[in-house]
Amino acid sequence: SFENRLAFRWFWLPEPVRPLHGSGCGQQQEAVGMEMRPETFSIFRTQENDPDCQSEQHQGQYYTVPPSHFHTVFPHGLPPRYQQQVKTFNEGCVMVRQPALELISHLKRADYSKPTLRYLLYGVKGSGKTMSLCHTVHYCSTQGWLVLHIPDAHLWVKNCKELLPSSYHASRFDQPIQASNWLRNFRTTNENFLSKIKLRQRYVWTKRESTEEGQPLGELVDMGVSRVKSSSDVVGAVLKELRLQAGGTEGGFRLAVAVDGVNGLWGRTTLKKEDKSPVAPEELTLVHNLRKMINNDWCGGAVIATLSQTGSLYAPSSAYLPQELLGEEGFDSMDPFIPVPVSLYSEKEFESCYLYYLDRHWLQHPHSQTEEGKKELIFLSNRNPSVLERLCAFL
Amino acid sequence: MAASLTGLLKPWTPRVLLVRWSRYNPYYLEPEPRKEVYHIPETELTPEQKEERELKSVRPIKAATNSVTSSVFNDPVLSKFVNMMMKDGDKIIAKGIITQTLENMKRKQVEKYHKAPEGKKAETECNPYAIFHQALENCKPVIGLASIQKGGKFYQVPIPLTDDRRRFLAMKWMITECRDNKHRRTLMYEKLSQELLAAFSKEGNVVKRKHELHKMAESNRAYAHYRWW
Repeated sequence: SFENRLAFRWFWLPEPVRPLHGSGCGQQQEAVGMEMRPETFSIFRTQENDPDCQSEQHQGQYYTVPPSHFHTVFPHGLPPRYQQQVKTFNEGCVMVRQPALELISHLKRADYSKPTLRYLLYGVKGSGKTMSLCHTVHYCSTQGWLVLHIPDAHLWVKNCKELLPSSYHASRFDQPIQASNWLRNFRTTNENFLSKIKLRQRYVWTKRESTEEGQPLGELVDMGVSRVKSSSDVVGAVLKELRLQAGGTEGGFRLAVAVDGVNGLWGRTTLKKEDKSPVAPEELTLVHNLRKMINNDWCGGAVIATLSQTGSLYAPSSAYLPQELLGEEGFDSMDPFIPVPVSLYSEKEFESCYLYYLDRHWLQHPHSQTEEGKKELIFLSNRNPSVLERLCAFL
Repeated sequence: MAASLTGLLKPWTPRVLLVRWSRYNPYYLEPEPRKEVYHIPETELTPEQKEERELKSVRPIKAATNSVTSSVFNDPVLSKFVNMMMKDGDKIIAKGIITQTLENMKRKQVEKYHKAPEGKKAETECNPYAIFHQALENCKPVIGLASIQKGGKFYQVPIPLTDDRRRFLAMKWMITECRDNKHRRTLMYEKLSQELLAAFSKEGNVVKRKHELHKMAESNRAYAHYRWW
């Protein structure tokens, strides 16, 4: 019927992705967890707001991100519809799901003296990859790591109004607006690290301006934000410094590089040079430096990446596997990586989401609160998180 | 007339098969989209329903149109509004605008609800469908005007309106108001949600237009006897 056609117009729904890691153990845990869980005031919320202490017994439950953390940890990482939801409900609740828990357990047990491990979240459109990434970023933040969160790598390879030729390297192009925006958000996220990290090299920007060795990182970032012309080179310098200092034993910090839509770094761009010839991604300074960051030749941190077909260029809408979206070049650069599949909602997670929307007075249609309406929602959305969200928005 | 002809007509198929057309041979029966009808067990059927079922097994049935659903969320008034908003047969865009409008209204009301103090929470209406229906009710005129010719001149005579006509006028005014009196940069769903929320609380331009019509009708009371039906 018409309504079904409208729902399917936005999302093509292939068969649900079966998770590689069996949920069999999860089910048993659940059975045990049901008795062990203390009496919370609702079945879909948990009081455990610290990602460190969340375990499989909290799977499917919503935890609240404290409002004080919200603006510092997530100035730019969240999906736009989720940001609207946070504004409407007056609180930011994230569902604890199996991919995020898996990632966090890997991060807890990894050996940080060895080269960095790369984790790749993949799944069908709308299955919750970006939200799992944000959950992991919240964990890294609460553990005191330095978080380098690139909200969408596709934004750097398309729709750029100003492409300046780079002063540092003749054949490369700078993107001043994107770089300065990113630096501003980076500054908001990592305020406390900016004064602690000292530069190990002297950087010369112009004949009169240079940043000396031993100066705090904060000065470099402030310079990048104010001098928009050299902001892309500042980004490159910041990434290089962090890479060198991440695994250090004296005052060492752990570095988390979280990239959303990593498949945009390899592939094609829609940007054109002045003679109308296409720009390859490696000719952009930002992309070039980010690729160096994703290589596993440094230690003392982790690279968490997400594939995304939504913003991608020249990729078919049915593609969601790493091989299809990254392409040959991307797959070879990312290899070896730890794949983390993100599946659609399980029955328990769907229940939890449904109860959360009921609690927040979001499902207003009288029929949506009945069993019939719930069955219809399951049918129309196929338990896809973002399709369900869009359906419940007007019901 | 169709009932008498039905006995004479045989189930013929034309040379060119017309599928999903609105003109059908009266021999064809209407489709039944509601789910409840099919869930009644055999034993509980009344004799008329049994007869109807037997008839349906021999007669051909018209194809259901795209707007007919068995969904629980189907709303005939909303479907009519979507059809009136549609331009050039593009129902997807019209339906999209309406869903965005409902979402927008719900968001504003739920935000107000969550920020309101405890006493006021029960007063804020969050259901966008209830708001839509109430707003439409508030925009429906009670009495209308007709142009009647008497002695060479035309007079605006107050006349009663049927329910369908009232509903049509309310929807028409709402859509024309939102199309004409909005800023170039405002999107349709934004303007529609503002107007519907205003009409819900009996403010706004559409309710003003209804009041003006009522005033005109009141002022032309003297000509009411020119109506002959």
